[in-house]
This record gives sequence, structure tokens and C-alpha cells, in this order.
Amino acid sequence: MPTKTPSEQSAEQSGFLRDPEVQLMLRAKEGDDEAFGQLVNVYQDRLANIFRHLVAGQEAAEDLAQEVFLRIYRARNGYQPNARFSTWLFRIANNLASNARRSKGRRKEVNLVGTASGPMGVRPQEQLAIAKSGLMPTRQLDQRELQVVVQNAIEQLSDRQRMAVLLNKYEEMSYEDIGQAMEMSPSAVKSLLSRARENLRQILEPYMQLGRDSK
Amino acid sequence: MDKITRLNTDHRADLVAYLDGELPDGQARAIDQILAGNQVARHEVEALARTWELLDALPVFKASKEFDTRTMTALKLGDVKYEMTSHPWFRYIKRGTNMVVWMLVLGISGYLGFRLTSTWIPNPQEQILQDLDLLQTFDSYQEIQTVDFLIRLKQIGLFDSPPQKD
Repeated sequence: MPTKTPSEQSAEQSGFLRDPEVQLMLRAKEGDDEAFGQLVNVYQDRLANIFRHLVAGQEAAEDLAQEVFLRIYRARNGYQPNARFSTWLFRIANNLASNARRSKGRRKEVNLVGTASGPMGVRPQEQLAIAKSGLMPTRQLDQRELQVVVQNAIEQLSDRQRMAVLLNKYEEMSYEDIGQAMEMSPSAVKSLLSRARENLRQILEPYMQLGRDSK
Repeated sequence: MDKITRLNTDHRADLVAYLDGELPDGQARAIDQILAGNQVARHEVEALARTWELLDALPVFKASKEFDTRTMTALKLGDVKYEMTSHPWFRYIKRGTNMVVWMLVLGISGYLGFRLTSTWIPNPQEQILQDLDLLQTFDSYQEIQTVDFLIRLKQIGLFDSPPQKD
């Protein structure tokens, strides 16, 4: 990878300086805790949502989100605006999610056939015709049931696929930004998302018409 | 009949990027041409797009109301601990304290172990040391043979100190 000249680096940095969140972080670096508090307010829900879809439980998700902010806060004295603030934040989030997955082991892949009630407290799985069995859904799904089906589909993705999909969907991040957050090249992100969304398509295709009808 | 342009593996891999607007212009135009002439490809793209829309059904979670207050408090507390432990002198003191504690533990353990073993396991040499006076005069005692004889010698004044001359 060709190294950038000092002037190229400085021009890039000055570009990132226009990011209002970078400005807040630079104020936090100078000791302005209120500025850091604003960053917490901006990102707390977004991080909680991403982590909630990656790990089980609201408490675990909030612990991870808090750890992200803790790491950023500790690093504030050496902060340099080399990237968009969100890219840096989600890179830390991705690393923490990877560590959490390694320590807890892979989440059990949810089988849509005959499982007990999940955290949402419903048993639509027993009523739904299952894609794996090749049967088509026999009736319309309500929104709650569709939510469970889509959530189960997401959970069947690999951890990296899931993270890329969540960043793409909820944060509307470009492939380049996703690549920086997940430490991959943009072409690797393209392949990853292609496989992930193809997997989702195969799982959800039987429900697509029903999903449209239930809206 | 129009020629049907088929999707190859590369094109298939590009469909998602095409939907996301992430393809360079040349590749995007190539996909446009394929879609114009291939109903199967159009169906696939439509299915991918509708799959993406279905993700809108996912629940959107939020942080709890106290999250920001709790987080800022945790940051301040974490910062205080972190500042102290980040100093080099703290590490040296910690290392030195660990060494001293371990040396004390080993020393005390060794001493206690020695005391315990010396109580339970008798030392034959210690018995000899206790009886050393007796052993040094043992030959004389063998010549005397009995205690009664010693008592009679004492009675006749054999062991009395000689009178001091003025």
C-alpha cells in the first residue's frame, strides 16, 4: 500500500476536521467532558442497537457499548483525526464484538423448527411453514412474527456477515468505511455483503410476499 | 429474438454492490445492460432489494435512559484508576511489593515447615548432645559401676572441697 506524503496526510486530516464529531472529540481531548457527553448521546442508541443484534441481552449490549466509550475516552489524549469519528468508533465496536464472541463461543444458530420461546416470548416458529423444510408459508404473517423470522435469518449469518449487514443497513456506511471499521478492503466487504445478502434472500424469499402484505 | 445476456459469477457478486450504488460506472453500466436483456437477472435483483426491505422489520433497540449518566460516571472512575496505574513508578512499586511479599511468604513457610518437621521427626544427634556430659564421663561411671558406691564415697567426704589455706 503506497504511503502518503505529509501534505497528503495533512490534507486528509483537514478533511476529517470538518466532521463535527471529530471537533467534539478534539474538544474532549482538551478536557471538555461535556463534548464527550454529546458524543455519548449521539452514539449510545446506535451502538446499543448494533450490539443487541450481535450479542444476547440488553445488559451485555450496553456493557459493550460502555466499553467502547471507555476506550475512546482513555485514548482521547493521543487522539488524531485520521479518519471519520464514526469509522474509528465502529472499529473499536467491531473488535469488542469479536472479543465477546471469542470468549462466549459462537451463538447457537436458531433452528426455525420446534424451538422454545425466545426472548420475544412468542412461538411463531411452530406455526410457520419452515423454509428449510421446503414448505411455503401457509398464511400471512403479522408484523411480530415477521420480525422474529427476519431476526432468526440474521442470526444464521456468520458473525462477520452480520456485522457488515448491520453497519450497511443501520449506519448506511459505505463499503470503504465498513472496510476501515472491520479492517478489510472494500472489495472484501463487497464479497462479504454479497454472500450475506444472498444468504438472507434464500432464507427470506418465501416470506417476501407475506412481508409486503403485512405492512 | 433478443440475445439473452446471462449473469456470470462476477456479475452475480456485483448485484448487491449495484443496488448499494458502490459499483464503478463501467461495471454499473454492464449490469444495466444485463438487466435490460435478462428477466432472471431482474428477478434476482428485485429479490435482493426486497430482502433488504424486509430488514426494516428488525426491532430497533435503544440504550436505557440511565445509560449516558452511568457511562459518564464509569468513565470518570475508570479514568482515576487508569491514571494512577499508568505511571511507571506504580509498576515498580507493585513489582517490588510482590517480590517482598513472596520472599516473606517463602521465609515464613520455610521456618514453619522446619519447626513442624523438627517436632514430629526426632533428631538422633540432638539426643546425643543432651547426653554429652554423661558420655564424656561414661568410662568413669563404668569403673564405679553402682550408685550406692558413689553415695558411700560422698558420705566419707571424698567429694568435699579441700579447706582453704589462710
